[in-house]
Amino acid sequence: MTATLPTATDPRSGAAADATATAGATAHPPLVPQQRTRHGGLGVRPPAPAHPLVRFRSSRPDLLLCGAVLLAIVLVQGWNITHFPTLSDDEGTYLAQAWAVQQGDGLAHYTYWYDHPPLGWIQVAGLTYLPSLLVPDWMTVAPMRFSMIAVSAASSVLIYVLARRLWLPRWAAGLAMALFGLSPLSVVLQREIFLDNLAVMWMLLAFCLAASPSRHLWHHFGSGLAAATAVLTKETMLVVLPALLVTMWRHSHRDTRKFAVTGAITACALIGLSYPLYALLNSELLPGAGHVSLIDGITYQMSRPGSGFILARGSGSNGVLRSWLYYDTVLPLGGLAGALLLLATLRWSVTARALAGPALAAVILAAVAMRPSGYLPAMYVIQALPFLALVLAGGAASVTHAVLRRRRTPGERRSLTYGRRALIGVLAAAAAAYVLPRWYEGDRTALTADANAPYRAAAAWLGREVPDPGRTRVLVDDALWLDAVHHGFEPGLGAIWFYKADLDPAVTRTLPRGWRDIDYVVSSPTVRRDAVDLPNVKAALEHSSPVAVFGSGEDRIEIRRTDRADGS
Amino acid sequence: MISFALFWMAAFTLWWQMHAWRTPETLASTRFDRPDGEGRLAFSLLLPARHEQAVLRHTIERLLESSHGDYEIIVIVGHDDPETSAVAEAAAARAPERVRVVVDHHEAKNKPKALNTALPHCRGDIVGVFDAEDQVHPELLAHVDHAFRSTAADVVQGGVQLINFHSSWYSLRNCLEYFFWFRSRLHLHAEKGFIPLGGNTVFVRTEVLREAGGWDQNCLAEDCDLGVRLSSVGKKVVVAYDSDMVTREETPGSLMSLLKQRTRWNQGFLQVYRKKDWRQLPGRGQRWLARYTLMTPFMQAASGVIIPLNFAVAVLLDVPVGIAIITFLPMITAMVTFVFEIVGLHDFGRQYGLRVRFVHYLKLIVGGPFYQVMLAGAAIRAVWREQRGRNEWELTSHTGAHLAPISATAGAGAAGASTAIREDGNQ
Repeated sequence: MTATLPTATDPRSGAAADATATAGATAHPPLVPQQRTRHGGLGVRPPAPAHPLVRFRSSRPDLLLCGAVLLAIVLVQGWNITHFPTLSDDEGTYLAQAWAVQQGDGLAHYTYWYDHPPLGWIQVAGLTYLPSLLVPDWMTVAPMRFSMIAVSAASSVLIYVLARRLWLPRWAAGLAMALFGLSPLSVVLQREIFLDNLAVMWMLLAFCLAASPSRHLWHHFGSGLAAATAVLTKETMLVVLPALLVTMWRHSHRDTRKFAVTGAITACALIGLSYPLYALLNSELLPGAGHVSLIDGITYQMSRPGSGFILARGSGSNGVLRSWLYYDTVLPLGGLAGALLLLATLRWSVTARALAGPALAAVILAAVAMRPSGYLPAMYVIQALPFLALVLAGGAASVTHAVLRRRRTPGERRSLTYGRRALIGVLAAAAAAYVLPRWYEGDRTALTADANAPYRAAAAWLGREVPDPGRTRVLVDDALWLDAVHHGFEPGLGAIWFYKADLDPAVTRTLPRGWRDIDYVVSSPTVRRDAVDLPNVKAALEHSSPVAVFGSGEDRIEIRRTDRADGS
Repeated sequence: MISFALFWMAAFTLWWQMHAWRTPETLASTRFDRPDGEGRLAFSLLLPARHEQAVLRHTIERLLESSHGDYEIIVIVGHDDPETSAVAEAAAARAPERVRVVVDHHEAKNKPKALNTALPHCRGDIVGVFDAEDQVHPELLAHVDHAFRSTAADVVQGGVQLINFHSSWYSLRNCLEYFFWFRSRLHLHAEKGFIPLGGNTVFVRTEVLREAGGWDQNCLAEDCDLGVRLSSVGKKVVVAYDSDMVTREETPGSLMSLLKQRTRWNQGFLQVYRKKDWRQLPGRGQRWLARYTLMTPFMQAASGVIIPLNFAVAVLLDVPVGIAIITFLPMITAMVTFVFEIVGLHDFGRQYGLRVRFVHYLKLIVGGPFYQVMLAGAAIRAVWREQRGRNEWELTSHTGAHLAPISATAGAGAAGASTAIREDGNQ
């Protein structure tokens, strides 16, 4: 309603005097007696909303439930976060670039080459700014994983809010939140410093705003802004936008939809265009000699060698899929099945229509993953997790509703009512019996295992045993790079991201004698895997011998000194 | 930085412009409520006419078709305007119980003087103002009657809409300006308790109007001034817009007359600003809204010049990328405004059952910058005239009686840009 602007009675005596201060006052002194009433519209009652509004902030049961699940998520994800899972190369990349942003070195400490939009690690830089200021040594991958807890927490709360805004019952919203935050798969992936986690947070915000119960024009506009931020954080979020549009369409009112939806699309497009604009202002939009360009970056990402069909045994994509299913089958498979079911029953089920957006998002993401020629990164599933969780919880709510209420008459026999309840009890117990032991096992590993001891030892060794780090050059993988920098190696040309030794002309130039200009190689699984295609790195590995080895087998980390001192 | 200031200015303007479409509930509340049976208030409809014999008769006939039971029409004519007087007298003879004629004997004539002349003759509870060329809907009075009674309002402002968007590129934008103003922005003003009223289709309780001393005869935007004075002392103003209930008008016949009309409007706004009635508003936010609204023409003019300049600087000169991005901020709001205008034009076409073709959208976009130039020109002209002071007006007031017939300028500006009758003199 608009007619509720409170205006206090204000019998100011000076006002009348003011009113006569007319330029060239005439026979008509504009004197009007004081009178204050409510201002506003015509008192037309607004149309009643189709569903009861969810007032999340003033609903105590909602806050309690959401708070309790949030606490569980934060504890499970936070405990042992530095030790498990294994530090990933990508985490190192993003955090190092965030570090470069904090140092004021631009968007990366090596030439920024439009591999991803930079907004993601700019946000990481912001998130880690204060801790890194207080304890500079913590600006390495393992401790800074704690910053991701804030992101997880925000996403979890948003998923609860979204579930309620999509008219799920309270318990189902709590279930969606728990599925999203406590699945072993989520625990593993959301702990890591991945841009996808940030992008998910923004996309959830966009969905929440699109489903705003007040259907406010600027909420929808804000939804567009949040969606653009999500895409600029991780470009693959682009494919989710149609699902967002569906959600917004369904939640906007016929009379104002035209403005709301166009506003959102405009906001999204304008913010999204700021990225090419940035490239244009840097004269780096189009490919050319002697500089990187946005087009080159996109071309690279689009032409990454495909990892095969996801269901073909032995393909790279299949390996990635198996790694997901190793941690959890319930959320990826159950969620996807639920999404397909919801889309199939769109015509009959109220829940299906309410959850059309998330279900569509899950299906689109699955379809994209099925491309036989596409490249499927391990963190891809992160984007789908919230939608899978929502769909699964929605499906549960739908089934419960059907069992308890369907064809129910007021004078139903008591035994039948009990029967319905018993059936729900059995179903719930069966689901719990299936899920809980598996998740318990998975989460227990996440809470107790230590996968990063070799990394910590290697980092410590570099700090302890290398006599003059300032003038020593070492090839490391991205995950260790910040540790090396903190131990005094020169960022960029002293501590070198191993693949830059071959791929970045600005680095290769400083290695005229190839491996002979390098003192150490820290050989981690990533380095050994990628060295095949990197001549300098390969040569350095071949012409070096281990001086320290941490761990054993495939996952071992060797610190190797090159033979330059003895050989040439 | 200038860019930030411009950005926030444009963002605020956009926010307010889109007020009515914020939520479906807001949109619903901007419409007239359905009247509950027959009216109970008596209306006195003032119809100032000057050299408008061509259209006056039709306007009166249309007013007489009104479904409301209790109203009188007071036609105000000048003592030096026999043709219009004849038309008015003839109408009064045909419907003596409805139509009366009041003669304005002021030496130099303008619209507020004419209205003030008629005010003592009003017998109704409500005074309504129309222009001589207005197309008034027969159901309007019944709706206004209901609005007065159901909201206990002191003032009801109905919608005014320019219709002939297809006439020229500037009339397209002019129509759209009216659409956004009456459809959306005025409702925000009503809600916030500060409102510059429009020049016609405005209804005021007679005793309130008399207490206020009628219209300010020295103000170039007496309608805006009346709204500011009434709302500044807390009178309740209600705005209602229904596409089938609006008063339909046409845009000025040429770009030059549009420029003149806009100049008068801007100058009137400046005068209202300097009268400082708005300072009585109790809320700080209200006073800022008043300040901002009355200065809008000038800020709009400034931004119209600075935004393209900014853009050029960012693209052509070698500035740091961060700065360049910031200079694009106002550009972003401008683009968003453009898009909303396109949607607005579509909605306008829908509401009025008019066919909006692709070329009109094209005109809207391409014409945008040129319209900005026109607005900037009008703003500069207004300031210049205001600076030159009253001498300039004295001069016009002498020649005013010989100016072109009033029908050349059709209707009031969005917040009451004056009709030609004001050109006739202000002293």
